[in-house]
Amino acid sequence: MHSYVRPNQFVAFKLPSDQTRIQKIVPNTQVFLGKYGTFPANQIIGRPFYLTFDIHETPGETDSTYLRIVSAAELHAEHLIAEGEGDGDDQEPAVEAATMRTNRDTIDDRSTQKLTIEEIEALKKESTGAGKEIIAKLLESHSAIDQKTAFSLAKYKLRKERKYMKRFTVIPLDVSLLTNYMLQDKEAARTLEMRDEALGLLGCWGNVHHGGSTSFDMETVLSNPNGRYLVVDDTGGLVVAAMAERMGILYPHDGDFDEEQQDAHQKVPATAGAQGEHDGEAPSTEGATSRRNRRPQMSAQGNTITLLHANKQPNISLLKYFGYEADDPSETHPLYTNFKTVSFMQLLDPNADSIYDQEPAEIPAEELSTYKSSKRSAYHRKRGRWMRVRRVVDEARAGGFDGLVIATLMDPSSVLKHTIPLLAGSAPVAVYSPNIEPLTEVMDLYSTARKTAFINRRRELMEQRATSDDPVDVRSELEEEFPLDPTLLLAPTLETSRVRVWQVLPGRSHPMMSSRGGADGFIFHGIKVIPTQEHIEAAGNPSRKKRKIARSDETPADSGEGADVEMTA
Amino acid sequence: MSSPFLTPGSHSQLDQLALLHLRRDQAIPTVLQLQDEDNAGYKEGKVTTTRFGSFPHTTLTGQPWGSQIIASKVDTGSRRGRGPQKKNRQLKRKADDLDSATTTPAEGENQSSPQAAVAASSGFLHLVYPTPELWTMSLPHRTQVVYTPDYSYILHRLRARPGSSIIEAGAGSGSFTHAAVRAVFNGYPTTTTTTTGEREGVDAGPSPKNRRLGQVSSFEFHEQRVGKVRQELREHGLEGLVHVTHRDVYQDGFLVGDSKTGTSPKANAVFLDLPAPWLALRHLVRHPPSGAESPLDPTSPVYLCTFSPCLEQVQRTVSVLRQLSWLDISMVEVNNHRIDVKREKVGLEFEKVRGAVVFPKSVEEAVSKMRHVEEHSRKYRELQQQQEEEDGTPLPASGDKQGKEEKAPAQAKAVPESETPVAVSDLTQTSSVPLYQQGRLVHRTEDNLKTHTSYLVFAVLPRDWTEEDEQKCREKWPPHQVDQPMQTEKPKGRKQLKREQLQKEEAEEKQQQQQQQQQQ
Repeated sequence: MHSYVRPNQFVAFKLPSDQTRIQKIVPNTQVFLGKYGTFPANQIIGRPFYLTFDIHETPGETDSTYLRIVSAAELHAEHLIAEGEGDGDDQEPAVEAATMRTNRDTIDDRSTQKLTIEEIEALKKESTGAGKEIIAKLLESHSAIDQKTAFSLAKYKLRKERKYMKRFTVIPLDVSLLTNYMLQDKEAARTLEMRDEALGLLGCWGNVHHGGSTSFDMETVLSNPNGRYLVVDDTGGLVVAAMAERMGILYPHDGDFDEEQQDAHQKVPATAGAQGEHDGEAPSTEGATSRRNRRPQMSAQGNTITLLHANKQPNISLLKYFGYEADDPSETHPLYTNFKTVSFMQLLDPNADSIYDQEPAEIPAEELSTYKSSKRSAYHRKRGRWMRVRRVVDEARAGGFDGLVIATLMDPSSVLKHTIPLLAGSAPVAVYSPNIEPLTEVMDLYSTARKTAFINRRRELMEQRATSDDPVDVRSELEEEFPLDPTLLLAPTLETSRVRVWQVLPGRSHPMMSSRGGADGFIFHGIKVIPTQEHIEAAGNPSRKKRKIARSDETPADSGEGADVEMTA
Repeated sequence: MSSPFLTPGSHSQLDQLALLHLRRDQAIPTVLQLQDEDNAGYKEGKVTTTRFGSFPHTTLTGQPWGSQIIASKVDTGSRRGRGPQKKNRQLKRKADDLDSATTTPAEGENQSSPQAAVAASSGFLHLVYPTPELWTMSLPHRTQVVYTPDYSYILHRLRARPGSSIIEAGAGSGSFTHAAVRAVFNGYPTTTTTTTGEREGVDAGPSPKNRRLGQVSSFEFHEQRVGKVRQELREHGLEGLVHVTHRDVYQDGFLVGDSKTGTSPKANAVFLDLPAPWLALRHLVRHPPSGAESPLDPTSPVYLCTFSPCLEQVQRTVSVLRQLSWLDISMVEVNNHRIDVKREKVGLEFEKVRGAVVFPKSVEEAVSKMRHVEEHSRKYRELQQQQEEEDGTPLPASGDKQGKEEKAPAQAKAVPESETPVAVSDLTQTSSVPLYQQGRLVHRTEDNLKTHTSYLVFAVLPRDWTEEDEQKCREKWPPHQVDQPMQTEKPKGRKQLKREQLQKEEAEEKQQQQQQQQQQ
């Protein structure tokens, strides 16, 4: 939970201009908010989030800066007053031509504002009241202020406030905020123009959630860990962050919960001291043993994210905002153990990877003890890295993942081809694309007509193999014609969500006049299933039989299953 | 206790909910059991009958999730208790029960071990574990359902995360409840009876810390719905994670247990699916005027969402939110639509293809077809002319007409066969492309469009912050202590460092060169 601003944490500042600024809050430093002011970081550390502050200072004096909390009543003052007026009589507020101001006589140029730029600048320098005085002066010296309608006056004031108020709101940096920040304040293309609504859908259709407390029923959990997710993420780590948030492993202070629960069942590093020798993954040898929960990197069994990446190193730069530096991850961060990375090459051809393939020669302990400490730790590091890569890659190749979430620049069908077989039965698949075309192509690859053709072709090939001695490689023959096995995915669906923002003010509610265009964002989802290899007819209304076969796709169940059940029951 | 929604395991298990997936928007939820509670009288024990065949639960239990299951031959005709007879039977049985005081098995010898099922020749379905999405699709409707596009966005905005405590008012059909449980789940409670947010993880680890388990506190004022929701949650293994309270929250607020002295759910997030959310808001404050405990978590900001179909409701809600000092108030609606993808087949070659439009696909095709028709009629006219010439003088209509009619069609038929190489070759060409690849790939919004579900109002209530707290904070973090001047504080980017390094090297090189030159 984000209960207060922690030292050395990234937080977001909402500025009067509606811009968002992200900064790390380091104790005993200044925080710069551009023209909106400067203040010491210590004045917000330890304070709760979502508070709005005014920056006050006396010009010329040092250490005079202080922050004043702006109360909610003050923030809402205008609306509350407007509403209060309206409450008086519920009927139309006395429509008198004399008092009803219109914009008939307004002058559409700048001559109405009598303050000159120089005067405003001078005011800014003298001003102490967080910009309020300037705005008051501006309103005073506006020659046509009395001709403005209430609405246009409010708008005028708001515009000036945005420009001159020294005010900001402190907001916790979470995935939703980062998503909007990247979309609106930064380069949207870096995150594939991902929106909140698309992330929400991805997480839900991917069924991404915490894998469960493992203190319960240790045996089954160990043999079949829950909550292992496979992710392909080309949004710089945003999707990984969103998944991690849903799984409770994103925030450094989430770790308190997580470590505990991992320790409970997963007694892998029973003795912290010995563990360093065993796994040799300790980047630093000193102080490590004292830490109770020291576990090797990427070692968690359940509630994990495995990221597949196209290049040698994954691009997960956005995770730094959550305290996870890709280059030098903190050992106490929950992602340290629960986030694993595997490149596509390691997945498809692990032996081509030099780290995986070349085991560093093992050195006996006696010899090792003669080494210099730097050399020894280098040995441990190399050895540990090899073991880690081995373990993580083998684990990924073994499959059995509980869900697949994809947001990639690559052709989604090529990704699906290699990832769907790694899923456990009934595991959901969710793919995001900023554009629809890559996903319509995927939909087409899973079309009913194609599925039917696939099944018929497979049967043909099987029969061919059975009758002739000529070995027919059913799989490769099928792959030639069908890039994806269409029978592995149930209920392929394509959808899109878009949120429309409204302004709700007394008597003035309407959708926002403009919003960001660009990519709408589309989600493809389905469920991995295990088709039986036998042929089976679809049942249904005989008159529509032909169609039904085509649509509801046939794949068969084994007849032997019934017997199995009896045995176990 | 484990829930197939959260930790389904790898195989279906007895007495757990499973979904029988028939088609995209149709799945039948069923609790797997060997014996039928209703004693429908199947020899195979409990059987679920679908439009794609009958499925004895013996064939569904212990299967890997996601398996395709073949329908079984089930004798539905000769079993006991069908149609009107069934009612009599049940009545009789009830009477019997009273006598024997034990449940009488329908088929004595089958009670312990149902007969093995025999695979049917056709019909199948997929056995999948339940997820909130699939459940939302297949749940029995009691009220308006909050669908996936809405709840996915709401939970994301509400910051419902593992370990959160969430209040839901208006449990309704339970779709949001299931999604919310999944969002906040981070472990099953070790003791199922506790209702507070804070629990001690007694068996959680070697060093038990206070560890907060995610929970949902659900309120519903409709008694029958409360019963249904409770039963569902029990069947779904979610009992310990959701606390359903029968309560009119407008009046009695959100404390779990007794409305005045009950325990606070210490909520981090609130979802109100009520007709008049503004009436419930007065209970969602930091310090209730009644002096009762606040239902909100005192240590975190509280996120709120209300779900109202009408704009008038929204306006009243927002107005009250402002009065109660909620911040960051915003209202949105979610527009979601599904997209159909298909192959649109337009062209003259698609004769006899289902769903295709036989129409020229291009100007070229149209022209070539017209040419062909023209050619055909020209031939026909020539033929006619020829005939006339052959016959010499045109004969009186009656005698000649017959002969002409006989001859001309015969000729005309012959012409297209020999003279339509274009069309024929087209046909052969396209047939080499498999059917599933013919036509143009198109997409469009699905036929049934939900254009409005509800307006979503979001707001945040920050933590309480008193002068005292502020004072403490000031002592801990001296407000004017600034160690270094900002300029050096600003971290240099890696690129910048590199650049500087390069510049330095260049400068050194230059210096060296200069030195060398000087030396020379």
